[in-house]
Amino acid sequence: MKKYEAVVILNPNLSSKADDFIKDFEKLLIANSFRVLKCEDVGRRQLSYSINNHNKGHYLLFDIEGEAPKLIEIENKIKYNESIIRHLFLSVKNHSGQDSQLLIDSKNKKHDSEEVTTKEDKKKVKRVKPKEDGDNEDEKKNDKKEKADIKDNEPSSAEANIEDKDVKDE
Amino acid sequence: MNKYELPEKFDYKDINILKQFITETGKIIPARVTGISASNQRKLTRYIKVARFLALIPYTDMHK
Repeated sequence: MKKYEAVVILNPNLSSKADDFIKDFEKLLIANSFRVLKCEDVGRRQLSYSINNHNKGHYLLFDIEGEAPKLIEIENKIKYNESIIRHLFLSVKNHSGQDSQLLIDSKNKKHDSEEVTTKEDKKKVKRVKPKEDGDNEDEKKNDKKEKADIKDNEPSSAEANIEDKDVKDE
Repeated sequence: MNKYELPEKFDYKDINILKQFITETGKIIPARVTGISASNQRKLTRYIKVARFLALIPYTDMHK
C-alpha cells in the first residue's frame, strides 16, 4: 500500500455538481481497492493562468491509499473525463491529517466575501431604484408624445378618449 | 536578518510561503540569494513546480 495525495481541478461550470462528482470519484477509487482517508472540497478558486479557456477551477483534494498499478487504471479513466480540467497524483510519505492551507484560505475568503456581498446587495438596490425612475420618466415622455400625435391626427374623437384615460390615471 | 524564512513543514499548498521565493516574473529565486539550506531549496523548487502545474502560482507574468 502506498499513500497518495490526489488533486483534481473540476470545470468551474460544473461546481454545483461537485458533490456528485466526489461520490463518483470515491466509488471509482474504492472499486480499484483504494482507501479514501480524507476529502477536501476547497471550492472555486482563481487560476493563475487559464486552462482550456477556464479562468476559475473547482479544487478537490483527496488523501488516498492503494496500489500503484491500480492508480494507472484510474488515471486512464480520468483522462477522458471532460469535467476534469487538470489532475495530479502525488505519492507522500505521510498524510498530514490536518486541513490544508488552501482549504483554510478558502474558508476565510468565504467569510470575507459574505460581508462584501451584503454590501454589494445594498449598493445594487440603491443603483436599481434610480434606473427604474429614469425608465418611468422615459415612458411618461413617450406617453405625452403619443398623446400629442393623437391630438394632431384626430382632434375630435381622440381627445375624449385621452380625457377618459387621464381620469383613470388620476 | 534574513527575510527568507521557511517553517519546518511546508508543501505545495502553502502558496503564501512559496510566493516569497519567486520573483515578480515568476522565476524561482536562487539559493545563493535566499540563503536557505540546500535540502530546503530542493524541496522548495519541487513544490513550486507542482504548484505551477496546478495553476496555484503563475509560470510567468506573461500569461494572458
